[in-house]
Amino acid sequence: MEVIEWIRFLFGTLFILCGLLIFLIEMIGVFRFKYVLNRMHAAAMGDTLGIACSLIGLMIISGFSFTSLKLFCVIVFLWFSSPTSSHLIARLEVATDEKREAHYSVINLDDTAAEQEQAGRQKHVAEQEQAGRQAQEKAGRQKHVAEQEQAGEKEEAVPSAME
Amino acid sequence: MEKGIPMLDQAYHILFTASLVVLAIMIILCLIRAIIGPRIADRIVATNMMGTIVMVIIAILAIMLREGYLVDICIIYAMISFLAVIVLTKVYMGVYREKKEEENDGSH
Repeated sequence: MEVIEWIRFLFGTLFILCGLLIFLIEMIGVFRFKYVLNRMHAAAMGDTLGIACSLIGLMIISGFSFTSLKLFCVIVFLWFSSPTSSHLIARLEVATDEKREAHYSVINLDDTAAEQEQAGRQKHVAEQEQAGRQAQEKAGRQKHVAEQEQAGEKEEAVPSAME
Repeated sequence: MEKGIPMLDQAYHILFTASLVVLAIMIILCLIRAIIGPRIADRIVATNMMGTIVMVIIAILAIMLREGYLVDICIIYAMISFLAVIVLTKVYMGVYREKKEEENDGSH
């Protein structure tokens, strides 16, 4: 019986120390990251995994009782509420940040698609224009050649008339 | 926690006391983060973290003092902490919008 109690103590200690380690990593992350949206990533870790590990350790120590069920309820509630609150805080940050270019770049997928389409259309128009210009030049050159030939014929014709 | 084995009781006492001390230090760090946080979202995140750590402390005290009803307080604390985050974000969003509207009215 004594051995079982010691094994239970060992596993409970393991889980509680794991939870404390995760809280420590959370603190390091919160102080090392440079921006709120990065810090929130570290803070959400303690909300879910840290408290889950600590309370599972306490559940092992407490044994099969009503208290363990209530601790489990706390874990389940936090798993639902932590993503919701993180989402709300992130939305607040994105909506009220006035210098957002300094911290992150926004990719608007619709705008990018429209820009690419426009660029493609411009390229197509440019190609058409170039082709038209080339055709005009070719036609102009042909016209020029024809005029020269005509002039040559006239020049040729003039001496014959003189004779 | 008293199991009738003196050495085990002592070990439990040391474990719980050490955990409580470490968590208390972490709460102080959270407070520092809440004070120096440059943006309002930093402060709300720090408040949320503080709530989580206080929940763990209450749960440890419930097991340490063998008072099962303290876990009920833990559940209620979780709900109130969640509510606090929602209310703070909504209130700050409303304050920001009002400020923006005032600025727009002033510029016209």
